[in-house]
Amino acid sequence: MLKKILPNDIYNILTTRVNINSVNEIRIRADKPIVLLIGIQRVFLGSSGITANIKEAIFASKIMVEDVIFRASECSIYSVNEQIKRGFLVMKGGIRLGIGGDMIEDSGKIKTMTNFTSVNIRIPHEIKNCSLSAFNYLLNEKGVQNTLVISPPGGGKTTFLRDFVKQLSLRNYAYNVLVLDERGELDIGVDGCIGNFADKICYSNKTVGFENGIRALSPNIIVTDELGQNEDVDAILYAVNCGVSIMASVHSDTIENLQQKPYFEKLLAGKVFKRFVLLSTRNGPGTLEGIYDENFARVKI
Amino acid sequence: MKFIILIAIAVCCIYVGYAYSKKYRKRANFFSALVMLCQKFDVEIKFSRERIKNIFENIDQKHKQNLCGLTDNFILFIDQQTSLEKETLFKNITFLKEEEKDVIFMFFKTLGRSDVDSQSQETKNFQSRFETLSSSATNENKKYGSLSVKLGVIVGLFLIVLFI
Repeated sequence: MLKKILPNDIYNILTTRVNINSVNEIRIRADKPIVLLIGIQRVFLGSSGITANIKEAIFASKIMVEDVIFRASECSIYSVNEQIKRGFLVMKGGIRLGIGGDMIEDSGKIKTMTNFTSVNIRIPHEIKNCSLSAFNYLLNEKGVQNTLVISPPGGGKTTFLRDFVKQLSLRNYAYNVLVLDERGELDIGVDGCIGNFADKICYSNKTVGFENGIRALSPNIIVTDELGQNEDVDAILYAVNCGVSIMASVHSDTIENLQQKPYFEKLLAGKVFKRFVLLSTRNGPGTLEGIYDENFARVKI
Repeated sequence: MKFIILIAIAVCCIYVGYAYSKKYRKRANFFSALVMLCQKFDVEIKFSRERIKNIFENIDQKHKQNLCGLTDNFILFIDQQTSLEKETLFKNITFLKEEEKDVIFMFFKTLGRSDVDSQSQETKNFQSRFETLSSSATNENKKYGSLSVKLGVIVGLFLIVLFI
């Protein structure tokens, strides 16, 4: 997939001089050096591989940024405009491009984004069994407990959720799982990555996705990524009141900071989530920092 | 023997006339197919946000033929990740004038670069330019296309009469 979007010379360096499997992010900014995130380290990309010396780094141009986005849209920006309006673009295989540029507003609504100046290519990696250490703590005799996975950006939330769904399937927990994949990141299209018992709804917001999904697909569990606004909280409450278990994720680095989020008050006060899984990047993305119960008491670690 | 040579000369003249008229017919068909391409593209992006490659691949065979490989050359650009060049886009297309190539090249350069509304507006603008080119190409074809065939026949007959 990367071959399709990156300039040939950059792709050649990445595949011949860098271990591409260890790269988590490629940041391309107009008139700035290309930066790679490898594990938790940020390094420049030079013509002979990775480098810490900015003088040896390859500088990207604005045309390069625009071309990467154009190629990622399969030369059809109009077909992915809804995603671009929200500042990202997801390619087949789950490669996600975060996009920076100028938002164009029309009558108070975002119409599109133009004048692209930066692109952050996030490369998903399947980390096999990464949810196993938490797996048993998230289930009880009734099934999967409402769980919130917490980590800072790039902390492995999506990978954890994806692996958890797969583990359910591998262990023959034949729950109907609905994967509400708002950004097209959860199902990366690799064989069996969301198991055999999952249905998915892609690119829908949570309000519509939850309502339609519950009506049409009668799931036992809904798995969704990145709760971020009041509407998401309402959608969660709607699903829980329908008797559906929730497995979701949110950006935060500590339990304390999560409690400060105003739109989370309802969920936390109502003790909707029975388990909180805290991840960090301390030893690389997906480091399990702890599992907490609804009273924020540690259950594990 | 003399008659056979004379008939061969006449046939050659008619063929030259026919070949010359073919250029006008090709131009007329080309521009009318280009107008159709704009219409199809506009409908497809508005209705299904279909990607360019799929739209171009699903054009019917007759129109594809009339476009003389133009869409295939563009698909090649999409697949090969090269920059869009005039020479590669108009490969094997010899009947277009330089200024016509410029307009068509501009059209292809704008494809897929903006949101649906802007893309649709731009497509309509180009479509009206192509319609103008199409009607003048059709007129040329009517005028000079049939004329060159007739001229070929007349020259052929004239040569036969002359040599008899």
